[in-house]
Amino acid sequence: MKEELFASGRNIPNVDPFLNIWHWQIPLYLFLGGLAAGILFFAGLFTIMGKEKEMETTVKWSTFLVPGALILGLIALLLDLKHKLFFWQLYTTIRIESPMSWGAWTLMFITPLSIVWAAAYMKDMIPGWQWKLKLLDSIEKWVNENRKLLAWIMMISALILGIYTGILLSAFNARPLWNNPILGPLFLVSGMSTGVATIMWMSKNHNERKILGKIDLLLIGIELFLITHMIMGFRAGTSAQIEAADLFMGGQFTVSFWVFVIVLGLIFPAIIEILELTGFKVPIAVPALLILIGGLVFRFIMVEAGQITRYLY
Amino acid sequence: MKTNIEDKSKIYYNPYFGGVVLGLILLATFYFTGRGLGASGAAKSTVVAAVDKLAPEHAQKSAYYSKFLSDDEHPLNNWLVFEVIGMLAGAFLSGALSGRLKFRTEHNPKITTKRRLIFAGIGGFFFGFGSQIARGCTSGAALSGAAVLSLGGFITMMAIFGSAYGFAYFFRKLWI
Repeated sequence: MKEELFASGRNIPNVDPFLNIWHWQIPLYLFLGGLAAGILFFAGLFTIMGKEKEMETTVKWSTFLVPGALILGLIALLLDLKHKLFFWQLYTTIRIESPMSWGAWTLMFITPLSIVWAAAYMKDMIPGWQWKLKLLDSIEKWVNENRKLLAWIMMISALILGIYTGILLSAFNARPLWNNPILGPLFLVSGMSTGVATIMWMSKNHNERKILGKIDLLLIGIELFLITHMIMGFRAGTSAQIEAADLFMGGQFTVSFWVFVIVLGLIFPAIIEILELTGFKVPIAVPALLILIGGLVFRFIMVEAGQITRYLY
Repeated sequence: MKTNIEDKSKIYYNPYFGGVVLGLILLATFYFTGRGLGASGAAKSTVVAAVDKLAPEHAQKSAYYSKFLSDDEHPLNNWLVFEVIGMLAGAFLSGALSGRLKFRTEHNPKITTKRRLIFAGIGGFFFGFGSQIARGCTSGAALSGAAVLSLGGFITMMAIFGSAYGFAYFFRKLWI
């Protein structure tokens, strides 16, 4: 048997040598929140552009997933809480300077909105569908008459939701890996990319898939650009930041980050999407699934690695 | 973007050309990773990781599994595992480029798909078992081993192909 001696006593799991209090719930929520934001953003965008007919999956069918994704994400957040029954206290205050407060209120707002948006397409989804209550009929009528207005609201709140999933982390000034301004836009773009991948997977319309494929390629390009600049920013920073970047440049997250996020989650699906756009026959489920897995792994790595990095030793 | 892609699904590389390319890949593998390539190693790592997860005590006690377990590294954190992931990705790309991305089981029209799969499964089982006794399969022992002039590599290669010739007669009905 191997004997281990601790001279410093610094081995208390989850507390020392580094505080690790966020587990699977947080990255799972960040993933689902980003995914929901991506779907809602493009549903809103194409509604505003008046493309409900051409982009039916984007505007209508994919949005049926969003309430489910948001509710699962919220359950994950609830599970993360130590005192679960106190969750409502987030809603007793509005703090403009706190990303968590922004997130809590955005979720409070966007979850019912997404339910209403999808529910008002129920009759298109299931022909012959009838609401049991008269009130629901009138709400549906109002929603369908004011789709464009709702689309604007939905698009903007989806942007806030998407960017908040990153800012939630970057607001932690004690964690050098998280504490950088690129994280907000990066999580937003990554969430949008996972959203587009999901819609693309669901869509049976060739033209719609082509448009989404081009959008996704653009998003992947932006994501790679942001990741490059994030790492460059770390490398040009203080030693705490250089150490944070080293986790991905030879440290313990190198393989998982480069293989599963960069290559299999971004570059490889991008190549397949280019092949599809140029006319080769490719099952769209493959790039879509890879992008989704890449997005999920990315959030797990960022949350896990971020908790290891610190300024003080 | 419109391109006419002609049907290339039946056009394969010339096997001699393929062999040379494979040799060059092996050379590049030695250069970049400092070791050869392999295929059965990834399957072995997967089995080791699964056994370690489901029955850690058994894995620790077993003379075979314990060889591949260490405290600092996960059994799946192995170059061969990533090589096989890359192989799948590359095969997928190659299939897409030549229009061969379809689910199908290639077999002799005289036998059923089920029969083909059963015999492929049995063959795979024996080959996997044998490759562990020989410390490698056609890629890991024969190809990579012979490339560094290891005697074991040549013996493994002769054993694999020799026994294949020997047994082919008994299973010829599956193919002709």
